[in-house]
Amino acid sequence: MKELGIIVCAKQIPDPEAPLSDVSVNAENMEVVVDAPPVISPFDENALEVALQIKEELGAKVTVLSMGKKVSDTVLRKSLAAGADELILLQDDAFEKLDSHSIASALAGAIRKIGEFDLVLTGRQAGDWDSGQVGLILGEILGLPCISLAREIKIEDGSVLVKKNISEGYEQVRAKMPALVTVSNEVGELRYISRTKMLKMLRGVGSIPSWSAEDLGVSLETLEKMGIMVLSSPPNMGRDCQFIEGTPDEIADKLAAVFKSLR
Amino acid sequence: MGDVLILGEVKEGSLNIRTLELLGGGKKLADDLGVGLSVLLMGDAVSAVAEQAASYGPDRVYKLEHPLLKGFCADLWLASLEQACKKINPKIVLLNHSLIGMELGPRLACRLNTRLTTDCIDLSIDSEDGLLLRTKPVSGGNAISVFKCPGEPQLATVRGKVFDPAEAAGGKGEIVDMVPEIDESMIKVESIKVVEEEIVALDKADVVISGGAGLGDEDGFEILQDLSKALNKSFGNVMIGCTRVAVDKGWISSDHQVGLTGTMISPDIYVAVGISGAIQHLVGMIQSKKIIAINTDSGCNMFNVADYGIVEDYEKVVPALVKRLEELS
Amino acid sequence: MTPYRNTFWQIENVWFFYALAALATGIFLAGMVAHICVWKKSARSLEVSFSWEALKRTILDTLLGRRVLLGEIAAGIMHLFLFWGFLSLLIGTAILCVHEWFFPFLKGTIYIVFSLTMEVGGIMFLVGIIWALIRRYIQRVPRLERRLEDALVPVLLLLVALSGFILEGLRLASHHPVWGVWSFVGGWMSAPFSAVTAEALYPYLWWGHVLLSLCFIAVIPFTKLFHIVGSPASIYFQGSGKPVTLDAEEETGEFDLGDSIFFDACMRCGRCVEVCPSAGAGEPFSPRDFVQAMHRDLWQEHSPLGDIRFLSRGEKIEVDDKFWYCTTCRACLEVCPIYGAAFEAVMKKRASAVEDGTNVPKLMNQTLEKLFRYDNPWESSKKNRGAWAEGMGLVDLAKRDAEVDLCYFVGCTTSFDDTAQGIALSFSKILQSAGINFGILGKKEPCCGDIARRAGELGLFVEQKEKCLDLFDKYDITDVVTSSPHCFHTFQNEYPDAPFRARHYTLVLRELIADGKLRFKNGVEAVITYHDPCYLGRYNRIFDEPREIIRSIPGVRLVEMAHYGADSLCCGGGGGRMWQELDGEVKMSHVRIMEAEASGAQILVTACPLCRIMLEDACKVAGLNESLRVMDLNELVLQALEV
Repeated sequence: MKELGIIVCAKQIPDPEAPLSDVSVNAENMEVVVDAPPVISPFDENALEVALQIKEELGAKVTVLSMGKKVSDTVLRKSLAAGADELILLQDDAFEKLDSHSIASALAGAIRKIGEFDLVLTGRQAGDWDSGQVGLILGEILGLPCISLAREIKIEDGSVLVKKNISEGYEQVRAKMPALVTVSNEVGELRYISRTKMLKMLRGVGSIPSWSAEDLGVSLETLEKMGIMVLSSPPNMGRDCQFIEGTPDEIADKLAAVFKSLR
Repeated sequence: MGDVLILGEVKEGSLNIRTLELLGGGKKLADDLGVGLSVLLMGDAVSAVAEQAASYGPDRVYKLEHPLLKGFCADLWLASLEQACKKINPKIVLLNHSLIGMELGPRLACRLNTRLTTDCIDLSIDSEDGLLLRTKPVSGGNAISVFKCPGEPQLATVRGKVFDPAEAAGGKGEIVDMVPEIDESMIKVESIKVVEEEIVALDKADVVISGGAGLGDEDGFEILQDLSKALNKSFGNVMIGCTRVAVDKGWISSDHQVGLTGTMISPDIYVAVGISGAIQHLVGMIQSKKIIAINTDSGCNMFNVADYGIVEDYEKVVPALVKRLEELS
Repeated sequence: MTPYRNTFWQIENVWFFYALAALATGIFLAGMVAHICVWKKSARSLEVSFSWEALKRTILDTLLGRRVLLGEIAAGIMHLFLFWGFLSLLIGTAILCVHEWFFPFLKGTIYIVFSLTMEVGGIMFLVGIIWALIRRYIQRVPRLERRLEDALVPVLLLLVALSGFILEGLRLASHHPVWGVWSFVGGWMSAPFSAVTAEALYPYLWWGHVLLSLCFIAVIPFTKLFHIVGSPASIYFQGSGKPVTLDAEEETGEFDLGDSIFFDACMRCGRCVEVCPSAGAGEPFSPRDFVQAMHRDLWQEHSPLGDIRFLSRGEKIEVDDKFWYCTTCRACLEVCPIYGAAFEAVMKKRASAVEDGTNVPKLMNQTLEKLFRYDNPWESSKKNRGAWAEGMGLVDLAKRDAEVDLCYFVGCTTSFDDTAQGIALSFSKILQSAGINFGILGKKEPCCGDIARRAGELGLFVEQKEKCLDLFDKYDITDVVTSSPHCFHTFQNEYPDAPFRARHYTLVLRELIADGKLRFKNGVEAVITYHDPCYLGRYNRIFDEPREIIRSIPGVRLVEMAHYGADSLCCGGGGGRMWQELDGEVKMSHVRIMEAEASGAQILVTACPLCRIMLEDACKVAGLNESLRVMDLNELVLQALEV
């Protein structure tokens, strides 16, 4: 049997864990400025973890694709340190602020260029624009069976078996490979990557291949930007907080009265 | 025809509340554009629901019945929806930002070669070009963005509780039967089984009592449970919520999680216990009618968004409150 | 008639005895070779440095049973009986051998002295065994396990000893020599036998005794009896008491010769379980089980035959990820008779889990990630690190080019946690009032690497260490005082050849008091008890200084809790546990707070930010905050200055 080919699409985003004080909105440039170093989007890390688990169980070649105007080699090398076999950066000035469809088209171009694969994994949504579209559009463009919100993924006889989240619980589904699956956090967090492993990967020789729009055969005219009209800070969610003070029993009395008034 | 078309979702034989909200919101957009409002329903037997939908006063109700549309099979629903859209030619298509909408939306957009905006919290019409202005929280709620995209139909998925649900109207819409051309060969993803889990439907709760890292340990949720029982007597549906940190710590299962990656809720009363108020949590509960925060840290963000604040150890206040509520009942 | 003894009285085919003896010795030696092979294979380097110190310690500990006496005198005396009984019999047998083969000298008075010594040795041995059996099976001392091996081994020893005495009895019954009175036990044993029966029974019993004894020798390497050899080795290799320092080389996280010998020599006495705070709180971790599992893994990895301890082969010990429970409090090492540092082994095990990546608990994974990215385990930002000092008018060493005498290294927890910030505030105020010219590093302050080191993230530890060293070098910092015993320990013991002096604040406070720079005006009228932080007390033996400071405050009455000093109980926050969520039946901090309450103290003073947080939480949860206050030593001192 030939080796499984798994492609994981991973996006670099500003650290979503950054505290509120480190996040600001630049309305002029229509950018959310996060004063924190970039990371791999958490759901994409979940997708990578699934890929690595499949690799450990069945053997597979795991290729990570990351796309952006400028992708940090150091951030994405984490995927290699974690156990991915290949990392390809898709970088082009034209890749700035693209809409989901254009990102998916470019990714599709890269995947077609790679050629052989069995499974494409993406996170359910990226932690910057929270759009949740690229994965499924990519599946459509490539004409693959699409499964969304996976909480568990298994490979069996050329098919992918997925437990996907539905509102009542989960649905067990099966699709012939090649297929595309978007991954939810239930699959588990990306394994820990020790600093020694990471340093080895950073110092390790070998440059990371970087493909431009031209390399992907994507014509620049087809790439569309996100149509952002306005970007603003969230409206002031603040309310006038009325503090209830006193001994615990006094507070309880007053609170009980509040509940009564709200009934 | 250039209608505003909404995709209806059915729960236990009738339109779910989200669909009614879409009807309400869709009506406004249709009026602004001066076009009709249509509802599209899919399933193996949706006649009764179509009647129900018609009673809310849309201009048309498209009824796509097919034995294969029983249950939700994304491949078949998508194909049917695509065919219907191509026939109906709507100006705007609105879906719920439900698991169904999240799955169909992007794929439909791709097939119709148009652009989708997901999880919108406001929609309006740009009076200049008649395009849809789609307002959506981004960056985990740290910013709000308004998008405008070319293409037709204009496509968006809408977050729950954004629009007021439509009221039953006197007018009766026309019910149009459509037969989707689908067959089993279109099923690329085969369903093997559906496993129902006891899931906490937080969005159904009237009162949600949530705990965060400030609880200290999982026993804290027992104290919240006591409060939940005490409130149950005078309030309908009282449920326990939590923050992501509490889930990460393994104190409680993830279906209790309120916030960006959990459930978005807007109960009548939200009680936040030991929750500092990270943005990812706030976006999930900020629509609550009244917010009560209990935290020992008077400087925490939760107090900024709360109506009532108690700076005290919850392990003292909550049991006292439970006792008081029990005395009163 | 000269007293003597016919060694092979009544025995034919003596050659067969020698054949058997050779066989038993052969089996014994083969077993020993197997052990040594495993040790050798597990060793990173075969260089074994010779140290008089270690040799002296080994001899004294072995002969006097010092470590066994420690903590439980009954067990120690029992062991001394067994040990000296066994040793005298062993030496006696060797002497008998010399007498038989080289020059016969056991005659007359010499023989009587010899015989008497053997008699006493035999009695001690017998008493020791019976005592051991009573402790395990009748008294049922809680820390002792009752596995198959635990019954078979002492029964074998008992049979050897009993058969020896009966044999002596039979010989005396047949001969009735006048010097028989010196062999009084044998004398009693001879009573039921007539000379004829004795003579007839003797050969059978003799062979029985021989078989049992040889069996005993042969099984030493294959049972817990191996500790006879293993323990002295472990004492020699492990007992230096020096903290393990690490460098950037990868293998430092792997087990080495000393660890292997410790795992191999452990005979499951369970003293570590008794003192382990995690096990005591009903958590699933037990140092003994951990060491046994490591022992099994050691043999599985390095021996083609697997574990040669055949009686314990079938036992299932699951370690999986339980080693994340250890708080690295060092209590197990305090009591281990063979200086086994189970917590060090735990950290090495964690190091391999971290390298592998898949067995790191989610919260630990997030904590380490945060530590790497933001230099602290608390917040995903560096900015608020110096926020506590706003308005205090402190010198920020990283901002101004200021000359200061002392650098106050605040530490992550003290910088970020609301409760712990009280330590920084009060210590700074104390230093200010004493007129000390000091500064902090503010936002620039890195993590010392303690958490990374305890979590086995050695690469990250080395990076943090280099960050600190570079920063200290850049700002010419040569004298550092820390809030946390963890930072202090890390600087002091895990930064080899660090070009700066590190002290915990207790040392600075005591000096200031001694120099008269701090004077307590009114003092504090309260009963106070002091909780020893593990990394200050057990790790760095600073037990008295904080107590001296407390006593020097007028009005204070210092009382001790049930566990104090080297025996202190861990709060449950060390070893990375602060950032994990692992449950037992109770919380360690709860156990400790109940001890504090029982001591009758009104204030529980500690000297570590982690202890401060853990104990304060436990105090609230236990509903004791009306009667018991948790304070940091600084907070207490400041109160005494201000009142």
